[in-house]
Amino acid sequence: MKKIMMKGNEAIAEAAVQAGCRFYAGYPITPQNEIPEYLSWRMTEVGGIFLQAESELAAINMVYGAAACGARAMTSSSGPGISLKQEGISFLAGAELPAVIVNMQRGGPGLGNISASQADYFQTVKGGGHGDYRLLVYAPYTLQELWDLTLLSFDKADQYRTPVMLLGDGILGQMMEPFFPTPYRKPRLPGKKWALTGCKGREPNVIKTLFMGEGELEQKNYLLQAKYRKMKEREVRFQAYHTEDAELIVVAFGIAARIALSALRKMRQEGYKAGLLRPVTLFPFPEKVIGGLAGGGRRFLTVELNAGQMVEDVRLAVNGKSEVLFYGKPGGAVITPEELCEKLQESF
Amino acid sequence: MATPLGLKELSKKEMLLTGGHRMCSGCGAPIVVKMALLAAEQPVIAANATGCLEVSTCISEYTAWKIPWIHNAFENAAATISGVETMYRSLKKQGKIDKDIKFIAFGGDGGTYDIGFQSLSGAMERGHDMLYICYDNGAYMNTGIQRSSATPFGADTTTCPAGSAIPGKLQHRKDLTKIMAAHGVPYVAQASPSHWSDLMKKVRKALETPGPKFMNIIAPCNRGWRSRTDDAILLSRIAVETCYWPLFEIENGVTRVTVKPKEKKPLVEFLKPQGRFKHLFAPENESLLQQAQTQVDAYWAALLKEEAFYALSAGSTEQ
Repeated sequence: MKKIMMKGNEAIAEAAVQAGCRFYAGYPITPQNEIPEYLSWRMTEVGGIFLQAESELAAINMVYGAAACGARAMTSSSGPGISLKQEGISFLAGAELPAVIVNMQRGGPGLGNISASQADYFQTVKGGGHGDYRLLVYAPYTLQELWDLTLLSFDKADQYRTPVMLLGDGILGQMMEPFFPTPYRKPRLPGKKWALTGCKGREPNVIKTLFMGEGELEQKNYLLQAKYRKMKEREVRFQAYHTEDAELIVVAFGIAARIALSALRKMRQEGYKAGLLRPVTLFPFPEKVIGGLAGGGRRFLTVELNAGQMVEDVRLAVNGKSEVLFYGKPGGAVITPEELCEKLQESF
Repeated sequence: MATPLGLKELSKKEMLLTGGHRMCSGCGAPIVVKMALLAAEQPVIAANATGCLEVSTCISEYTAWKIPWIHNAFENAAATISGVETMYRSLKKQGKIDKDIKFIAFGGDGGTYDIGFQSLSGAMERGHDMLYICYDNGAYMNTGIQRSSATPFGADTTTCPAGSAIPGKLQHRKDLTKIMAAHGVPYVAQASPSHWSDLMKKVRKALETPGPKFMNIIAPCNRGWRSRTDDAILLSRIAVETCYWPLFEIENGVTRVTVKPKEKKPLVEFLKPQGRFKHLFAPENESLLQQAQTQVDAYWAALLKEEAFYALSAGSTEQ
């Protein structure tokens, strides 16, 4: 297989097409506009559907409608646009409809700016919308992973009948780098027997999020929680670099992990025993792995492009057995590997 | 006594949107804003939906606005100014403020026709004393020229690209000006910066009319229209002369066409200088040009008929 060069946002769009996504609804917002722009012509080529909505609220609900009909459906946005989609995301979770939602994060709160940020961790991982629900969340850090995780997102969405969020950022979306366009191989998945496809010759299917019967909503929530537990058991993904002998372990996801990796190489060259733990799934969080590494005088440094969000989950995972430090920059600022090296050296 | 809207008097007034902002050279939007603010006699508080105008006039710690200005997200300029205007009325009632202040909300066509339509409609229905001005450049220019419901039929944008599958946008523009008139608000108008006197008279009239008002103003964008950077005024003039963008007002339900071109020019004169319509001039797309012309003709004829109807009924009451 030959490597190809593409812009991050376009890689997501093409990977979605490869994964059999034939329904996309979106609305303009920077820095993810290349996704709808690419799909506006690409969907025509493959006989799929591209719809530009009149708002993010409309786009996510178009996805709701298409997913209910059994389509592999996707929408994408960034920060403020994802905030507007939250009602629809909660409804997708409640109705157990599979969908892929891409968030190429930008700086906030408010309009903020359009540079990269990781300040949507809370919004993505801790709910965002109303109700007791979880999203399966993937945090890619290279264009290779952007491609591969987009493919995977559609399968996992169908497997668990759940909305999946691909949490990227402005840098990943705007940059170009070579990667292998892994061919998509569809796994064996249960058929979408629940989909609203016309009930000739069968009982009508029902998809709803309103549960007014006595105890009905409670039961529904127990079922959802059982599903989330299953995800926690089976879907955790992470990557560990030099953690075996590390005295200080950096925990970082997405673009921050990429910066951390550069810093780590330099630190190792200089003889520091530093390691990196990179969660690929943010929900489910690799809490057992981090918990297992805690203790024995080992310390953790969480690095994020925000004011400290994932660090809370690292602290919960460590559960007091290790000291957990934090280094981050909020509001669309980016950390350089040199800065991080200095911070690491201070922390040793 | 109000300042007459003549060049001599206006030249002495202060520009309330200063130069040095970061709008592209040749952009129509700041011209529209300057004219609107020049027309105002009383102090103005403005709200701004995000978009080119908002982003480019408040870079970093700088602002180009010499008036109180509040910005918010894409969908809520009308709601934001509703809050400010209501607070003003409350403070006035409490005797804490006695000034006569006018409220204007600015939004582009994306933030007005599409995502901001709900909050605009709500504000009009509640009856806030405000003027909403839409600067219509016919696409989401700030995010990279994506189609909006104001994008004209046949235009090439980044989300309805003209090619072998589609010849640009397949739908006609949403007639927002008439939709706003259907709210039964006291004043609705359409204007163009090429006809500055007409534009400013309309803003003046709107601000002097109590209650909710709406104005739709064409604002050429050379980036999105793929036109020359010095053609903003020329193109907005041709838009009027071809009746693509008729100048009219609807005052208390009565329609009046304020500028009637001496000679109605063919629509192609508006389309030809713009790269976004280039593909329409290919031989195979001739029928599309015809379709666009037919639509403009029909709209113009209906508008004149509407005006004649009101003129006639006004005549009959006078008898």
